[in-house]
Amino acid sequence: MDLKKIFYATLALATLLPFAWAQSAKTPDLTGVWGPFKGGKGPNAKFAAPPAGQLVLKPEYAKPYEARRAQEAEANQRGEQLASSGAQCVPYGVPTMMSVAVYPVEIVQTPKQVTIVSEAFSEVRRVYLDRPQLPIEDVPPGYYGRSVGHWDVDTLVIDTIGIKTSVNGYRGMPHSEQMRVTERMKLVAPDILHDQITIDDPVVLEKPMVYTLAYQRLKDYEMVEFVCDNNREFIDEKGVVRMKVKDK
Amino acid sequence: MKPRLLNVLALAMLLAISAQAHHSFTMFDTTKMVTMTGTVTSFEWTNPHSYIEIDVPDEAGAVKHWSIEMGSPSILQQSGWKFSSLKKGDKTTLVINPLKDGRAGGFLNTATLPSGKVLGNGPGRGPQK
Repeated sequence: MDLKKIFYATLALATLLPFAWAQSAKTPDLTGVWGPFKGGKGPNAKFAAPPAGQLVLKPEYAKPYEARRAQEAEANQRGEQLASSGAQCVPYGVPTMMSVAVYPVEIVQTPKQVTIVSEAFSEVRRVYLDRPQLPIEDVPPGYYGRSVGHWDVDTLVIDTIGIKTSVNGYRGMPHSEQMRVTERMKLVAPDILHDQITIDDPVVLEKPMVYTLAYQRLKDYEMVEFVCDNNREFIDEKGVVRMKVKDK
Repeated sequence: MKPRLLNVLALAMLLAISAQAHHSFTMFDTTKMVTMTGTVTSFEWTNPHSYIEIDVPDEAGAVKHWSIEMGSPSILQQSGWKFSSLKKGDKTTLVINPLKDGRAGGFLNTATLPSGKVLGNGPGRGPQK
């Protein structure tokens, strides 16, 4: 009798343990508001993001990309800014929305879903946990694509596909519809979060582009509404960003 | 002199980190500071930028209207601004970087509120709260 009980108890434990482990008390809670990490000096210096890897585009993409960068730099020298999607209030999408100037992101973590809201432009991404990813061909191209994630012990691994080609990647880099963004989010200290972003694109990139964003927790911060309904910037006939002024 | 130097450094930092911001600040002449005193016609606490619309009389009494761009509400609140900091009819003195193209617009550096309080234009820009 007793042996039978022990057998069933052990069986039950062995069956349930992996599920319990997947969302155990040890799973970090990333819920909260996160601003760009500012402690690059002093005792927290070790938590600064490591330097970004090198962006290596295939030659046919490198030429136009570099030409555009040169045009932008030249315009900048003249005191002008060339048209950009941001100046027209078009959202940044994945992965750029994860670091827009000084704006924070809010993470809401539940057992089945992690939701990430960027304050700038109120962009929202949803990461479905422990669900299979679809083939790229089955995801309609958009700003946020489709994200699935899972916990690799203490690290949230997010896989995103289905970003449309008009959404610029790291530093305005071009990409194809084959782009895959893999993120590894980890608390490197209780209040410091790293998001290591790997952009993989077999069509455009010679090798995956890897960079890390570092955040610090903004305790008690209340996210500010951001609806782009008073955009006075416009693109003139030369493709330069200018500001509308009112007569009265 | 010191606050001015700090402003320049802060602006340089702002420019450095705003690679993915809404737009760059190249349309404004950051080498020039213009001081103007006038009457607020509207204070727009909006995104992607807030604006102070202001009527500024010259010495002869002729009124010129200016549109002054600020940071976004999120950025402004970090330097002590509130949606109610200015309202129509308030007298205020602004220090701005004018538009390079000569039209009556600019980018706020500091504002002196009717209470006498001086506010900047976001973290690191002008006096802090």
